[in-house]
Amino acid sequence: MLIFSVFKTLTDQRVTVELKNDLSITGTLKSVDQFLNIRLDAIEVLDQARHPHMMAVKNCFIRGSVVRYVQLPSEHVDTQLLEDATRREAANSNKQR
Amino acid sequence: MSSLQGYVDRRVLLVLQDGRAIVGVLAGYDQKSNVVLSDSKERVYSLDEGVEEVPLGLYLVKGDMIILIGEIDEDIDRSTDLATIRAEQLPPIRY
Amino acid sequence: MDASPGIQEPFDLIRLSLSERVFVKLRGDRELTGILHAYDGHMNLILSDVEETIMIVDAQDGASSAQGVVNVAKRKLEMLFVRGDGVILVSPPSRT
Repeated sequence: MLIFSVFKTLTDQRVTVELKNDLSITGTLKSVDQFLNIRLDAIEVLDQARHPHMMAVKNCFIRGSVVRYVQLPSEHVDTQLLEDATRREAANSNKQR
Repeated sequence: MSSLQGYVDRRVLLVLQDGRAIVGVLAGYDQKSNVVLSDSKERVYSLDEGVEEVPLGLYLVKGDMIILIGEIDEDIDRSTDLATIRAEQLPPIRY
Repeated sequence: MDASPGIQEPFDLIRLSLSERVFVKLRGDRELTGILHAYDGHMNLILSDVEETIMIVDAQDGASSAQGVVNVAKRKLEMLFVRGDGVILVSPPSRT
């Protein structure tokens, strides 16, 4: 839930999604869901010359399960807030047991 | 899963786990991102010849097999001569 | 439980590493070091000031894979989300 919330705060920011097939796609984050499936607009594929497959694709839906990394815009990530939220979530999940 | 909402009835590109690329009209989808494509064709890429389009017809693709679904810009796609494109197939997922 | 206070389960070790530099081993012969800012129960991570190391084994012609040449590629990333399914281990900072 925490990570899902983080992605929601990054809506409309430019991110680079690196997939498990080594494809890297930069785009504007339009939406994310509970599975961390990602919608990107105005996409650019890294090394377009080698990968012309997506030439006519301007926006796409990426399945969360095939994501390896997402490079985030660090100026839009409040690391102190993240750490506090992570500690809070960890404390809550301990209480439930 | 609101993310596929806007793609229904649009021409889309599906990239699959094994690296295959399939184009078709998105007829429907569900929670697990299983999708139904109508009038679908596989685009077979190679370095030796242009892109070959193999007609597949109506296809149901299991969500687990899908890497991404992209909306095809019809103008750009029409202005692209597939016969002139040389490229390797996209790499398959390794983990 | 007479381990050090506050550590009852594996995830506590990760919790105590928040805002510290950690080492992460990933599938696909990849390793990361970076400052840990967030994690969840899937071991999804958010790290900053990341250095990634990728080991690429080039199998030599006519040689067994054990004799392949290992190339190491490194790159730096400012802020990175790492999907948990690729994570093999997370190690807290070495206290040296």
